[in-house]
Amino acid sequence: MSDFGALLWLIPALPLLGAVLAALFGATRGLKDWAHAPVVLTAALSCACAIAVAARLAGSTDPVTFAKSSNPDDRLHWFSVDSGTARLAADFVLSADHLAGTMLLAVTFIGFWIVVFSVGYMKGSPGFARYFAIVSLFLASMTLLVLADNFLLLFAGWEGVGLCSYLLVGYWHHKPSASDAARKAFLVTRLGDVGLIVGMFLLWLMAGRESMDYDEIFSVAAQMLADHPVMFPAACLLVLCGAVGKSAQIPLYVWLPDAMEGPTPVSALIHAATMVTAGVYLLARCAPLFVVVPGVQLTVATIGAATALLAAFIALTQHDLKRVLAYSTVSQIGFMFLAVGCAGPAVPALAVTAAIFHLFTHAFFKAVLFLSSGSVMHAMHDVIDMREFGGLRKVLPVTHWTFLAGALALAGIPLFSGFWSKDMILEATLEAGHAARFGSAYLVLFGIALATALMTAFYTFRAYYRTFWGELRMPEGAHPNEPWVMTLPLIVLGVGAVFAGILAEPFTHWFSNFLTTSPHLVRVSSGQTMDHHLNWPLMLASSAAALIGVGIAHYLYKSRPGAAEKIAEAAPTPYYLSLNKLYVDEIYTLLFVQPLELLAGMCRLVEAVVYDLARLIAMVPYYAGRGFRWAQNGLVQFYALAMVLMVAGLLGYFVLFAK
Amino acid sequence: MLSPDQIRFVLPALLGLPVLAAIVLRFLGGSRAHRAAVAFAGTHLALTLLILLSGASAVQHDPAVSAKIDLAKKQAERVFAPQFVPGDPNPNGTGSYSTAWDLLTFHGPDANNPGGRVRLGAAQFFIGLDGLNIWLVALASFLMLPVVLFSADSVREREGPYYSWLFLLQAALLGVFLAFDILLFYVFFELTLVPLLFLIGGWGPGPNRREAARTLFLFTLAGGLITLLGVAGTVLFVHARTGELTFSIPRLADLVQAGMTRGSNGARDLWRDTQTYLFLALAVGFAVKIPLVPLHSWLPGAYAEAPTGVTVMLSSLLAKMGVFGLLRICLPICPDATLAVGMPLVGTLATIGIVYGALCAFAQTDLRRLVAYSSVSHLGFCVLAVVAFTPAGLAGGVLHMVNHGLSTGAMFLLVGILVRRYGTAQIADYSGMWTRLPAWTFFMMVACLASIGLPGLNNFVSEMLMLGGVYDVRSPYANGITYGVLAATGIFLSAWYTLTMVRRVLFGPVKEPPARTVVTDLTGRERTTVGPVIVLCLLLGVFAQPVLDVMYRDVARLAQVGDDARARAGN
Repeated sequence: MSDFGALLWLIPALPLLGAVLAALFGATRGLKDWAHAPVVLTAALSCACAIAVAARLAGSTDPVTFAKSSNPDDRLHWFSVDSGTARLAADFVLSADHLAGTMLLAVTFIGFWIVVFSVGYMKGSPGFARYFAIVSLFLASMTLLVLADNFLLLFAGWEGVGLCSYLLVGYWHHKPSASDAARKAFLVTRLGDVGLIVGMFLLWLMAGRESMDYDEIFSVAAQMLADHPVMFPAACLLVLCGAVGKSAQIPLYVWLPDAMEGPTPVSALIHAATMVTAGVYLLARCAPLFVVVPGVQLTVATIGAATALLAAFIALTQHDLKRVLAYSTVSQIGFMFLAVGCAGPAVPALAVTAAIFHLFTHAFFKAVLFLSSGSVMHAMHDVIDMREFGGLRKVLPVTHWTFLAGALALAGIPLFSGFWSKDMILEATLEAGHAARFGSAYLVLFGIALATALMTAFYTFRAYYRTFWGELRMPEGAHPNEPWVMTLPLIVLGVGAVFAGILAEPFTHWFSNFLTTSPHLVRVSSGQTMDHHLNWPLMLASSAAALIGVGIAHYLYKSRPGAAEKIAEAAPTPYYLSLNKLYVDEIYTLLFVQPLELLAGMCRLVEAVVYDLARLIAMVPYYAGRGFRWAQNGLVQFYALAMVLMVAGLLGYFVLFAK
Repeated sequence: MLSPDQIRFVLPALLGLPVLAAIVLRFLGGSRAHRAAVAFAGTHLALTLLILLSGASAVQHDPAVSAKIDLAKKQAERVFAPQFVPGDPNPNGTGSYSTAWDLLTFHGPDANNPGGRVRLGAAQFFIGLDGLNIWLVALASFLMLPVVLFSADSVREREGPYYSWLFLLQAALLGVFLAFDILLFYVFFELTLVPLLFLIGGWGPGPNRREAARTLFLFTLAGGLITLLGVAGTVLFVHARTGELTFSIPRLADLVQAGMTRGSNGARDLWRDTQTYLFLALAVGFAVKIPLVPLHSWLPGAYAEAPTGVTVMLSSLLAKMGVFGLLRICLPICPDATLAVGMPLVGTLATIGIVYGALCAFAQTDLRRLVAYSSVSHLGFCVLAVVAFTPAGLAGGVLHMVNHGLSTGAMFLLVGILVRRYGTAQIADYSGMWTRLPAWTFFMMVACLASIGLPGLNNFVSEMLMLGGVYDVRSPYANGITYGVLAATGIFLSAWYTLTMVRRVLFGPVKEPPARTVVTDLTGRERTTVGPVIVLCLLLGVFAQPVLDVMYRDVARLAQVGDDARARAGN
């Protein structure tokens, strides 16, 4: 498969080339305004390569690999130290199985359309070239992350994604809020990354200090658990830390809502195609490790469900359109975590497929929602507060329809893509609920998920009605326009949001058939396969939840304007808790940030004390010398007297006391 | 390309050229001094590159040495194999890993001939290249050029003497890295102090420079004297036990290996106990130089008060002497002690240093001091990896010495460039430099990202290797996981203080202190000063393997010494 292997390395290499070219264009006077050209081109080519690789994968069960030689010495090393006792190597080995192939399709396809949209959105913005260079690097990092065949290379992509989000969130670097958000995004995810690093090395240690390759580590998962009953679950939890940080889950979700300080297409990129999905991918990839420890899996599922609920609760009252969407992402990723966490109690193939399927459909509808809100923001002169505008469906017709498509999918309205994938997650959770171990816990999580689905529908349509219905209101300076470079991606992604779900899965089973041929998932599922059936009661329940949510939103924000305020007044405590994001930022500042800063201040104090102490010690000889200076006075008579006195004293001592 | 014998011939020139430069530059002044200094630094770099390119493959695979490691027996028979030793008694390139150039010969009574005297041994001019020092020599040669270029803009008085001392400092540094004779090593090690004292005391920009210079001098001298005790103790103990008086580090290491494997249990216990004392004595001087917390009080003052060029030398190279001393002397000569006390004591101090240095760095209000404390944190990591005594740890440690030298050097240069424009290093005085100085910001950003260990830039590679080495410690005396977890928190903390500084200085609305002249972005000369360092940061981040390959054989043999010691310790 060497020819496809070559395509494989092109997938991250092309966007990297695009990034370099964009940077060079940006530095050249005449080409400055053309910096987007290489990026659009390479993103398209990269997407084409991904499609070719996926087509090849569809025909067989073998993964496509690049530079993967069975003899580790023949590989292309990034760095490697190999001795008789330990081998620590990071090799440039890429491998795409069906899981990676699915991810690649989502990342490159959605990424490409976001890049196209950006061409219109970022036009005339200072740092145009910088924007495209970093976006291209973002795609390169994300595809590298997906294609990596060992933990260290994955980590390279992982951190690259973190860097790009840092630079893009802080794109308007002169704005203090953007600068703070960028720093926060990097640091919070880095906190999780440290967990991932430690987890990686623990796995390496337990797997015999031999290899960081997935295959080598995953194949001994059961053995590791038997040998290290405490350390192995700990390592899994540490890997989970990394996923939690990147995917913005409790307790590290706080960076994502702030991250919308960047340009809106960046939010689309972070929320839909790259970055936050990385954590879900990591968990799906590491499923062979997680399935052997049910306690850890329950933790994953609980974190997912709790995050889904909490973020949905906060999203209920936010005024900022992008903030609503940001919390909805946190919430939807929570659903994916819930699904991955069901692998083990439920058939792993089903659980992982559900998570990745939701990731896939979510990528479409979240991208279209963010890009539509970007279109709104572009037209409303960078205002995004829903209190400032309304009734935009007349002036932004295309945006209205695409937003609606995304909203219907996100709300889980039957037949739209989000409905099918969410349904699969609920099904997986319900199946896990029948398991002997922790079954009842999973049933509780199922209940939470269903409640969250209702809330999702409500806040999505609350945002929709407030933005596009009611009487036309616009802030000053608004200039509603929809250039074709922006509407075309909207339409493509909107169509995807509507049809991606129904075409790919419920009747054709293309998606699950493709994904579950992956040797990775086959091995994890150890012989079990997922059965395809439509669970009608479940579908009815989730449809009901979605429709009730939409109905409430319709009632409060369309038929009875003003009713919402009354409810807020009637129940101020939950309202303000939600509006102020449960005060989590403030609590974290108080509990973690300030103590750490205090500790640093104390260290500085200690430094001063130690320094002065050292000076004090240095003064001892000086003062000792001064103390005895009077004895060295140069008078011979004095020396003679002192000598006689001393001799007399000594003699006296020997005569009187010595025995 | 040079043949091995030709390299043998020109190797002393690596030391001789800076000494010559020091003498010549003493008598020059003004712009002629600048130009001559650049020429000397450039020539030295060219010479080093020539030696490096011709010699690297010999260092990487010396057939004579590879044959001597018997991996099946798991016993290192020869700890060090210096290549290209000038004065090698074996002609035509076979190499005996020793030299015949005596500096200080010791004689004793001749047993066969009463009244006669016989040569017992000698401190020798024993220099050579091996995997451990080759990249440090390259770094010491490479960084001289940016330092000299930077100084051309900032040193405005007594230029000749300034450069003269600077080149003397470089000569002493190279001497430390090249020496294979323990006394020669020590002499060079202490010799660095003299130029440093004059450079900081004479050309420092601040009012406290004399105080800083004195503190530095007293601290390092005090530590150095204890190390001298250790050096003498090592030579005398080996002499007393084996009857061989040698100052050659390879020979001493081999004799210790032999002493630990042969003889009665009692004799071996004596070797082991003595190792502990020797290790402690030797390590003190190195610990001050690195510096290891709590012996670091001299550092912030010296780094902040020295002229920028000298700060770069201090942080990038002089600090590495201490780590290198551990690597070259403590580990091979006291392997069992390194396991028994090295990791529990030095490793613990290093780990404390990682966290403590990072916390202190966060609390600093002065840019130079922030970078200085970040150095404490990074070098703690380096020391921890070295005393872990594992292949990955040693390889990562050596690589990190180079990587940290590059990234910290770049940071100090960039801070120096900023201070040259505005005359202050207070973080609070700056904001929004991205808008004001975009090119400077670009370089600073890369340096900061390298320093926090971002993949694709150099420090990541060495940090991962070091971390792996620490987890892999396999010692009955220390639990690698605890150290590894604490070291990993250092990775987060470094991002925390660095990005907080970046947030304050680079991001935000423009705020700048009053400048003396019109402030422009980087000049052409400044770009050539910092640019190559930054490019190397990127190159070493991506193409790390060739660098590792060259050093690997010697690292593996040193690690084998550690494994032998582990086997003896019963683990």
